[in-house]
This record gives sequence, structure tokens and C-alpha cells, in this order.
Amino acid sequence: MSNANTDKKMKGKDLITIGIFSAIYFVINFAFMLMGGIHPVLWMLMPGFIAVFAGIPFMLMAAKVQKPGAVFLMGLITALIYFATGQFTLVILISMASTCILAEVARIVTKYNSFKGNSVAYVIFSLGMVGSPLPIWLFKADFLAQITEQGMPADYVSAVEALSSNAMLIVLFVAPIIGGIIGAFIARGLFKKHFVKAGIV
Amino acid sequence: MNRSGRKHTLKFDPRTELLLLVMANVVAFTQHSIWVEIAWVVSLLLLIIVCGCKKAAGKLAAAFGICLLLQYYIFPNGPKILASSFTILVSYARKIFPCLIVGTLILQKTPVRELMVALRKCHIPQGLIIPLSVTIRYFPALKEEVGYIRDAMKLRNIHGIEKLECLLVPIMISATTTAEELSAAAVTRGIENPAHKTSMIVMKFGGQDFLCLAFGVMFCFISIMVG
Repeated sequence: MSNANTDKKMKGKDLITIGIFSAIYFVINFAFMLMGGIHPVLWMLMPGFIAVFAGIPFMLMAAKVQKPGAVFLMGLITALIYFATGQFTLVILISMASTCILAEVARIVTKYNSFKGNSVAYVIFSLGMVGSPLPIWLFKADFLAQITEQGMPADYVSAVEALSSNAMLIVLFVAPIIGGIIGAFIARGLFKKHFVKAGIV
Repeated sequence: MNRSGRKHTLKFDPRTELLLLVMANVVAFTQHSIWVEIAWVVSLLLLIIVCGCKKAAGKLAAAFGICLLLQYYIFPNGPKILASSFTILVSYARKIFPCLIVGTLILQKTPVRELMVALRKCHIPQGLIIPLSVTIRYFPALKEEVGYIRDAMKLRNIHGIEKLECLLVPIMISATTTAEELSAAAVTRGIENPAHKTSMIVMKFGGQDFLCLAFGVMFCFISIMVG
């Protein structure tokens, strides 16, 4: 991969690698998204859960494609598929776009090949999913009215209202940071245990 | 393509289908009236029946019917525990039905290569089209892969938390090899050629496309007005 470091333009191989790992990332992401429908607490902790488990595909992708734009493309594909399934709001679009750009910046600064740099990028990238429950705090009254109108049961609405405190907002943001760090370390453990031996990183 | 071979089913331009998907999203998020929703779902179902997805349409219609039945008859009258644990799931499911229907149509009736040509015609950069089509194409492969790994785990009696590692590691390794092989195949076929790509597929908007789009736009307006 020495020649990949000198040539920073995406090649066919990089694009295909990103595509495949995005598929795995999306599946993990989607599984937790579905779980979020069970109870509002799970929904608010969702970004954290995703961060713990999606570290492996992200870190492997980051290790394989050490070029600008890789993280951004991964985020964009996730966003596009979510859009196609009709579960995307403007808030999550903005949060994901901004975190993807920040993650790209983190990778540029750390020169793409260090574990630390990629972990930082991953933590920032994980924060993007915060945009999913964020409307609860941003437009609290509107949001509650909207889900009531959509036929959500009163229990659920009151549970959401009870949970929309400032403390929970902090939890929402801290969960993916902690989850992201755990996820990155799980990924590193597996890298050492399996992937380096198998010669794929 | 195939227009002469299978005349009895209608075929839409992939771009029409993509636009319909956008409209399905718009309607899903703007409508507040149950009748608009039902009308929209029924017309989309008719559309995919005309396009030849009869089986899928039947399944989706049944699922939608069950959702409505649950929400309007069983939840208000049945035991409370049932309502409180499933309402959220059912109302979310109902919301994504239009997208699900159009998505089924695209997945079943539009090959990925036609979708690629359509996206290319919309001037979406090659750098996005390639990974996106790989992602879409990789989902079924991933499902197959997970099935094999599950079987293997059953044979070896792997349980508990170990299962997760035993699932993820083979998936990652096979994903890496697939990426290598696919790139080798794609590079030999000239994926890195900077020249403008040409295609055998002739893509043109026909009468049915305009009709369908006009209908969709009308629905968007209705749903915004009524909502």
C-alpha cells in the first residue's frame, strides 16, 4: 500500500472497498435504529450503541482507504439509503454532514494512518447519528404534538417528554463519544487478534 | 430494454422511479390525513402490480391492512399491554410504507446497471455511483454470508458473547476479499478509464413516465394542502 499514500485520488478499488464496508456499517446501524422504536431510552442511547458495534467496519475501511473523502462517502451512502427508506430528517442530514466533514479534517491532520487519528475520526463520525433523536430537544413542543398526531400512544409521548431533560441531552452526546472509544478499541483488539495475522490490514 | 420481449408489463425509466421515491418521502412526511395515505398507498400498489410485482404487492397490501387493523380496531379495544408495546412499531411501519413499495419496485424490476446509467444521466459523479451501487448490491451477499456463518456456528456449538466475534470477524474477512476480487474484476473492465462511459441501455422518458410523475406531483400537492 505504499503507493496508496502518495496518490491521494480515489481509485476504483477504494470506491468499491468503501461501498462494501458501508453496507456492513448500514446493517449494524439499521439494526439499532429498529431497536430505538421499542422505547425512547433506547432511541436516545442509539448513537452510543451504534458507536460501540460499528467500529470494526469503520476502522477497517479507514485502514484500507487512506485517502480524503472516504469517511464522507461512507456517511453520504448511509444518508442516501436512509433517505430511500423514508426515515431521514433535515436535522440528521445536517448533523451527519457536519460530523463527516470534521472527521475528514481529523484524518487530514493525523495523516490517515495512525490508530489514534482514525479513532478520533470515528468518534466524531459516530456523533453524526445524534441528529436522529435531536429534534426532541430542538423543537420540543412541535415534536411532541407531531408524534401525538401520528397516533403515538400517550405513554410513549409522556415518556419522551419526561426524558427530554438537559441531563439526557448530555447523555445523548456523551454516549457516542464513549461508545466510539470503546468501538475503536474493540476494533483494535480484533485487528491484533485476527486481521493482522490474516494479512488484510 | 426488454420492451419488446415483455409487453404485458409496464416499464418505467429508473429516473421516474427515483423521483417517485422522493415523492413518497415528501408525502410520508407532509400528509396528516389517513385517507390521503390510503389513497397514496393503494395507487402505488396498483402501479407496482401493473409493473409486474404482483406477489410483492399482495404481501405489502396485506401488511398494510394488518397495520391499519391493529391501529384502529385491535389497539383501542384489545389489552393495554399489547397497545403500549407495539403502537410505536406499527405507526413507524405505516409511515414508511410508500417508500417500501417504491423501493420494492426498484429492487425487483430495475437491475443495478440500469440504475447506474440513470444516475450517470443525472450527472452524479462516478465517485459516488460506484460505491453506492456496490453497497446496494452487497446487501443480498451479506445476508447469504450471515446465513452460512450461522450454520457454521451451530455446528460448532458457539454461544453467548463469543457469537458476536465469530460473526463479525468472518464477515470482515470475506468483505475484504470480496473488495479485492471485485476491484480486480472492475479494473480489468475499465472502471478507472477516465473517458465518458457509454451504455447499451437506451434510456428515454416515455408517456407512462410523464403520466406517473404528474400523478405523483398531484399527490404531493394534495397531501401538503390537506395537511
